[in-house]
Amino acid sequence: MSEAIGVGRRRRWFGGREGAQKRFVAGVTLPAVAFMAVFSLLPIVWAFALAFFDFSPRRAGSPFLGLGGDNPFVGLEHFKAMTDFSADQPIQVSQFHTAVKVTLAFAFLVVPLNLAITLPLAAMIESVHTRVKPIFRTIFFLPVLASSVGVAIIWGFVLHPQNGLLNGAITRITGKTTQIAWISDPSLVYLGIPVALLAVLVAYLWQDIGYNLVIFIAALQAIPQSVKDAARVDGASAWQTFRHITLPLLKPTILLASILTMISAFQVFDLFQVMTDGGPQDQTRALSLDIYRNAFRYQQMGWAAAVSVVLFAIVFVISLAQTRLLRNRWEY
Amino acid sequence: MSRRTWTMRWLTAVFAVMLLGAACTFGEGETDGDGGDGGGGTTGGEAVTLRMWAHRSTSFNAALRNAARAYEAEHPNVSIELETFDYDSYIQTLQTALPAGNAPDIIHMFGTWTCSYADYLTTVPDDIATLPDAQTAFFSGPLGGFTCDDALYGLPQESNVEYGATLVNTAMADAAGVSTDGWTSWDELIADAKKVTVIQDGAITRAGYHFTAGDGLAHSFLSLILQGGGSYLNADGTAFTLDTPEGERALTLLKSMVDQQIIDPVVYNDEQNWVGDCYFTELCAMGLVGPWAVADYKDDYPEVTANTIYLELPPLEDSKTFIADSGWGLAVSSDSPKADVAWDFARFAALVPENAEAWNLTSGTLPALVENAEGAARDRLVGAFPHFETWFNILPNAQFVGQLPDRDRLYYEIIYNHALAAFQGGETVDEALQAMEAEANDTFG
Repeated sequence: MSEAIGVGRRRRWFGGREGAQKRFVAGVTLPAVAFMAVFSLLPIVWAFALAFFDFSPRRAGSPFLGLGGDNPFVGLEHFKAMTDFSADQPIQVSQFHTAVKVTLAFAFLVVPLNLAITLPLAAMIESVHTRVKPIFRTIFFLPVLASSVGVAIIWGFVLHPQNGLLNGAITRITGKTTQIAWISDPSLVYLGIPVALLAVLVAYLWQDIGYNLVIFIAALQAIPQSVKDAARVDGASAWQTFRHITLPLLKPTILLASILTMISAFQVFDLFQVMTDGGPQDQTRALSLDIYRNAFRYQQMGWAAAVSVVLFAIVFVISLAQTRLLRNRWEY
Repeated sequence: MSRRTWTMRWLTAVFAVMLLGAACTFGEGETDGDGGDGGGGTTGGEAVTLRMWAHRSTSFNAALRNAARAYEAEHPNVSIELETFDYDSYIQTLQTALPAGNAPDIIHMFGTWTCSYADYLTTVPDDIATLPDAQTAFFSGPLGGFTCDDALYGLPQESNVEYGATLVNTAMADAAGVSTDGWTSWDELIADAKKVTVIQDGAITRAGYHFTAGDGLAHSFLSLILQGGGSYLNADGTAFTLDTPEGERALTLLKSMVDQQIIDPVVYNDEQNWVGDCYFTELCAMGLVGPWAVADYKDDYPEVTANTIYLELPPLEDSKTFIADSGWGLAVSSDSPKADVAWDFARFAALVPENAEAWNLTSGTLPALVENAEGAARDRLVGAFPHFETWFNILPNAQFVGQLPDRDRLYYEIIYNHALAAFQGGETVDEALQAMEAEANDTFG
């Protein structure tokens, strides 16, 4: 009996049309799964392992993957060091604290600003004539396609103290030579936020809003017109319809967009690296930049891995919190 | 099975193989087209193929390629393949390839990096050069980087200097009535720098003397400590001594140049208006950078180059000693199965004076060999690069910066950040020195 069941299972897998389909699915997904396993999963596991070692690729270590020996196991030492808030903390700890602050400030500014720009903009684009919509969508989406390094270089030109467009415009208007170092003067602070960080924020928003815009336009198009019509029949104004009908129905999309934006804001590297290189005075030293420098400039791979674990934990916790806060209990 | 199904399966299989192939052939390395087995005959004995890695640079790569072809001509059984990587990839590739045992036979190594990779390198065999031989043959600056715990791990090819002389735009100097005869004191230099500085509406639109880039600032600070009679390391090299009267004097002198408005470090620094860009776009009248910058910019800015000279910086006291990093040279991986041949090539390229001279001429670098900084070799190098003349005069004063635990962090994140903070008023000189010393000592681990 059991042999018959086994033969039946084998037939389902290897014989007939169903078997052929399963083999086809397995065949086409296997390369992608293998790719993910080798280039994503393995590095993640390796990073978690390295976080518990004082590992530097410059030291030979033990024969087993270079772990141990001159690259000793340190357990939770890296994580303990991160909680050192004393005045004589080592430089890499103080830079880590700075990087956490910079990254949190950046991410928590990016999300509301991005949503504040993209949501009304999407509603406006959605309200224009059908023939014009694609033009606006294209215009706003184009920066998303641009290389981040290119964007950083262009904004660097715009904000250059001597040859920059912005200072050039101010000089023209005021008639006085203006050399404001927007991204290299540590004394420039606005509402407690370094102007250099705001400059990177502006460049990031300029490039990134098109992405959420397209998501919101698609979500707006998916809201049934009948619901809005019913509200209008009941005497709701355009604002009331948006506030009490459209916005609640967009909650799942807002959740998705805010999580994606938050995660990508935590991962921004190229803009910080090219526009400011973490300066001035570490005012734009984001966690991604801190990880890169420790790993590849200073060869402190163990410490960098520990910082990347912390970054992972921060993103994970915040994503979880967002999911809980914006959880939707009904569908339309 | 239908024909269509077969076709689909074949296409799927081919696509999967292509994906796999693409995944396995990633990377940015470039291999010499003509390096292959060009000279790979067997007339001189067993055929040997050596792999050599270098960072990508037109002039450096041409110089290495020429050396390889010359060696192959003398040793027809040996062929040398040069593979190059862009600078950042090169550092990362070395970090991964050396521990993984995938390093090439010969590594074009920046001297200051050498000791951090000593676990994966072989020492120079005595029949190639002993340490005393090398100390006689090479300047101490470049050799210092390749010497780890009194063992020699490579042969230097260039002297890498960033301090000791400054670029001067003679047209700007003439227009401002500044003599280009040189200076005997810092007061004279500062006075001249003020004359060539241009200030409009309170903003410095042309800096008189740019020293506030990462390398220039660190080299200035450390060199001035030495010239003031101090030392930035303790006697056994286990701790930094930056918060000292000599350190205070050095930082105060540098700050005085900012206070006297010959440079605004907010506008002229590592991130914006870097010294090479600043000087050759004529936003700076003088700039502290090594002679390699002229070779780098001369094609794009021939008119500025024509008006450019190097002038020796004044000493702080009588001492003209200044610090220098170690330059590029040749090292051999411990994985090399033909280390003896690889070292013979290194000897050929770096120790034979005419070959070393050819390398310096092609790469536009100052020689590491003492012999090539004298006599006819010196004349030939100066003939090819007139800007070398000033540097030849001061090369004997160059002292290797020392085996620092984390040279890049010290330069670019500790000295640079705190010196700029002191210049801009964010920290006092004392606070900056205390922070520098504490943070620098953390790098000893």
